[in-house]
Amino acid sequence: MNLRNRQLIPSFSRPPSRVLIRKVARYEEDLLAILYESLREFALPVKDKTVFLKANLVGHDPQGFINTHPAVLAAAREAFLKLGAARVLIGDGPALDRDTQAILESVRLTEFTGKLGADFCDLNIDDVERVLLETRASLLKELYLPKTVLGADFFVSMPKLKTHHWAGVTLSMKNLFGIVPGSCYGWPKNVLHWAGIDRSILDINAAARPDFVIVDGILGMEGNGPIQGNSKHAGVLLFGDDPVAADSTACRVIGVRPEKVDYLSRASTMLGHIESSKIQQLGEPIAAVQTPFAVVSEFHHLLIS
Amino acid sequence: MNRPVSSHLSAPAAGSPRQAILGLLADAQNSDGGWAFAKGGDSRVEPTCWALLALADTGLAPSEMARGLDFLKSTQLPDGSWPATKGMNSGGWVTSLGALTLAQFPAHEKSVHAALQWLCDDYPRDSSRWQKLLKSLSARKQHASHNDEFRGWGWTPRTSSWVEPTAFALLAFATVVKPEEALGSACEPALLPVPPQLAKPMSDRRPLAIGLLYDRMCSGGGWNCGNPRVYGVDGEALILPTCWALLALGDAPDHPKRAASLAWLEKSFPTIASPGSLAVAKITLESYNVPLPSARRLLADFSPDDLEGQGTHVAAWAALALNPSRVWPARFSESSATPRQAQP
Repeated sequence: MNLRNRQLIPSFSRPPSRVLIRKVARYEEDLLAILYESLREFALPVKDKTVFLKANLVGHDPQGFINTHPAVLAAAREAFLKLGAARVLIGDGPALDRDTQAILESVRLTEFTGKLGADFCDLNIDDVERVLLETRASLLKELYLPKTVLGADFFVSMPKLKTHHWAGVTLSMKNLFGIVPGSCYGWPKNVLHWAGIDRSILDINAAARPDFVIVDGILGMEGNGPIQGNSKHAGVLLFGDDPVAADSTACRVIGVRPEKVDYLSRASTMLGHIESSKIQQLGEPIAAVQTPFAVVSEFHHLLIS
Repeated sequence: MNRPVSSHLSAPAAGSPRQAILGLLADAQNSDGGWAFAKGGDSRVEPTCWALLALADTGLAPSEMARGLDFLKSTQLPDGSWPATKGMNSGGWVTSLGALTLAQFPAHEKSVHAALQWLCDDYPRDSSRWQKLLKSLSARKQHASHNDEFRGWGWTPRTSSWVEPTAFALLAFATVVKPEEALGSACEPALLPVPPQLAKPMSDRRPLAIGLLYDRMCSGGGWNCGNPRVYGVDGEALILPTCWALLALGDAPDHPKRAASLAWLEKSFPTIASPGSLAVAKITLESYNVPLPSARRLLADFSPDDLEGQGTHVAAWAALALNPSRVWPARFSESSATPRQAQP
């Protein structure tokens, strides 16, 4: 057990966050080299540690624009091992289909990673532990969360770059809906919707804080995400040591104003930085990779122009 | 529908895949009598139910079976529901699974009736009068076109109706249908009598739930979690929700939507690649006496260890699917008296 439930730090006393943007046109590029070099820039404390990569596996995705691409997951796993991690687990708890294996088959994960065995964790059926939600942003008082996530030494949220029909955008913070186990809360995890999607995102992220973020934005999804939108090529990978900062930067890349996204705006008080002035931008400048994404009509107010 | 398991003993052939799976399941029983999703983990209601259903008629030592049943009874909450995991103080969808599991074994009427009472009292929140009023006053556009007159069950109390928990509640209800109702349907008569206090609430809830399932069907047949159309885009059906819905509708009157969904499942069967979906689809098609189409993969392609590695529930589904004379779920049509040979 370690630092999942870390202390909240008010924005004014939080040091600047770091976000790195890499241009990556295709999944066929040397992703291992790109990820290894990118992760090295952050000097992450992963040596001899157990790293958990929280993928975004939502549904059947033979074309590769719904879920975190398996090539990115495989490269991240290799890169963390190369950085000295003792063990790197991959996992998720898909929200709409309890047959996680069917989703894995559709994305051909093991063709990229090799046989994972116990190094893949279906978070929907993991053993769980009661976690009190001290932030109480939503109506929820507690959640039962997977022991594998709570016990990981280093927790990485690896979302797909997508817009979302209920939340506006779905990035590293919304990706944590996937750690809420379906075996306790169902498929979908409807209790989170009733408690308020935006506020549930805050509570879950406060309870199980990701240490790092890798956003798969090579091929993203615009419009009616998370599963029924359209494929959109953005050609980027984003890395960040602060989920709020990483998500805010991803928003700016796709032409969304992060301060207009309800949960990001609220998260900026205690969970991370949203202001550009407090985010140390590494790699490509946002302007060089900006690719406007369409959103459903309810979220037109989020768009920069 | 629920015959006493002891009357249908079907010990698997020595060395068969089913025997190997059942052996792994038996070995995975925890000292508290329950099963975890993964061997060595914490006992939970859901995997315990699936393991008990799979092992029911195999000659597992009565003491071990009794320990499993005792685990179930000990985890039932005072209000009759079952929590998804130890420590939770409210029940959820596994209440249906607990009820239908205990109903397969003699002498658990009280627990089953308590669970059914809880199900009858558990109304989803989305279709309450208050929510309907709020929705009618809301300026926000409705993104999904559900008929809120229908009411099923949610995964957790006080949430929305979804396909799978509604299907499991109907399957639990089916364990106590009135004998006179069973006469007009394709299923076998139930053994457990319907308790008088539940006769009306159950007969009220059942048509609403069946209506909900048909309302939530995807346009080309089959079901997903319960969102057939969002923002004008048709959702795709999934194997497992389709199977549970079809099994729940098995003793309902014929309906063109049920036929369309069965046809969708039959057409989709050859593309199934995962053992969990393959097993449940096989069970479902066999329950409707539909000849199994050629499959891309067979259950026999998966080693028992692989199946167990995907969870106790998957191993149990596979064991049920490989049991040609399984007790649950029942076959529905008249011709079910002559079950086909199970596919390897």
